[in-house]
Amino acid sequence: MRLELHNALVKEIQWGEKTSLKDNVLYVNREEAIEVVAADENFADVQLELARPGESVRIIPVKDVVEPRIKLEGGTSFFPGFCAPMEPVGEGVTFVLKGASVITCGPIVAFQEGFIDMSGPASPYNPFSETFNVVIVAEPVADLEKHAYERSLREAGLKLSVYLADQCKGTKADNVEVFDKGSIVEENNKYPDLPKITYFCMSITQGLLHDTFLYGADMKSIVPTLVHPNEILDGAMVSGNCVSACDKNTTFHHVNDPIVLELYKRHGKEINFIGVIPTLESTVLAGKERTTWMNANLARQLGADGVVISEEGYGNPDTDLCMNAKKCEDWGIKTVVISDEAAGVDGSSQGLADATPEMDGFVSAGNVNEMIEVPAMDKIIGFPEAIAYLSGGASDSLREDGSMYVELQSIIGSTNELGFSKLGCEWV
Amino acid sequence: MVREIEKEAGIPVVQIATIVPIMLTVGANRIVPGVAIPHPVGDPESGPEGDRKKRRELLQRAFKAMSTEIKEQTIFKD
Repeated sequence: MRLELHNALVKEIQWGEKTSLKDNVLYVNREEAIEVVAADENFADVQLELARPGESVRIIPVKDVVEPRIKLEGGTSFFPGFCAPMEPVGEGVTFVLKGASVITCGPIVAFQEGFIDMSGPASPYNPFSETFNVVIVAEPVADLEKHAYERSLREAGLKLSVYLADQCKGTKADNVEVFDKGSIVEENNKYPDLPKITYFCMSITQGLLHDTFLYGADMKSIVPTLVHPNEILDGAMVSGNCVSACDKNTTFHHVNDPIVLELYKRHGKEINFIGVIPTLESTVLAGKERTTWMNANLARQLGADGVVISEEGYGNPDTDLCMNAKKCEDWGIKTVVISDEAAGVDGSSQGLADATPEMDGFVSAGNVNEMIEVPAMDKIIGFPEAIAYLSGGASDSLREDGSMYVELQSIIGSTNELGFSKLGCEWV
Repeated sequence: MVREIEKEAGIPVVQIATIVPIMLTVGANRIVPGVAIPHPVGDPESGPEGDRKKRRELLQRAFKAMSTEIKEQTIFKD
């Protein structure tokens, strides 16, 4: 399976007469772009805003972030089951507006969402302070049911990102990345001596606006399955999550999953990357038992020597994380997990809700409770009063001068458990 | 909180919770498994009557757990 990503670099964004990419400047026809999403009868009003790196801009509350992409060969549109027909992805050519993103923003208050600062002390904590962003601010019609609002906003982000990529797809790419890997049997024959490694991508699948989609399927209703890594990089997974901002995997994170990219880089050299298992975090104990047994069993059937396991969210999913590690280790399959910690504002509390001795390879993505002070921004896109409803915020978090004192967990992607971050620490 | 109430006040506590492994990890002594994370002490999907029946059954099981002598962490499955 061979996938080419044709990356056209975006280094500036402006409103323009025609949506297009010229000399690395993304021009967006504002009215036309609004029309792409405003047709949804669930929206009373749709506004678009631009946000650039370094600007004094706060975007709040953020629901999802999407990278503009479209298939050029080997498929139609993007995001099968949403914008694209139900068809397999991961082969052919995909056009990417690299450096741009679409951010969805709307007052789904009383739910867990977060913010993005384009400059200041919070900006290094989220990767989208470095992208050129088109922000959708969508007001729902009166009394719109929350699930319908979430669905409309989710689909608006996907639609606008596909529109942007579609309008620019004639532009020559600045670089091409190739992801080429055969079937498991073929790769096993090529690399018989390399350790076989798979990856469990744990995803929040808990209903009540906490959902993830695989090929359009609401993952809480499926059992774990095996996919080729190219499918992850080519839009098979979509976030439908209204959950703590710091460690939710946005749709942008999925197509740029750093675990997939790093395992790919090492494939054929240090390891044999045998595939990805997108998996669940159930709300019932039997569901957690079932999915973790199935994950471990899939790894065993594939002959895996090791598994990388990433968590999404924290709290009860810590149990899924422990179960996944324990069941694999009990069968002799080595594991390493990536998780963040909810260790209290001073970092001295137990980091995870659950623990097991078998989970002894642990990479921490940071403490979600760490406090941060962020200054007022000149411009707010969205709804600043929402900070009182965010996880990691409180009614007194927003001060009169516009500054905020909040936990890291209210910043989108700040402790992302795929490791999508430039921040780290060193032992001294 | 469960452990502190037992330790400091000397009052036995029954914890009804869905994810039993977490209760075992944090050290709850009397554990009654709940239904699901969004609704640990009820079963709204089975309708008002089924929900009421489940709530009653869980409460009675909790009372039974409360009045049972234990020597170690115990899960009351029925």
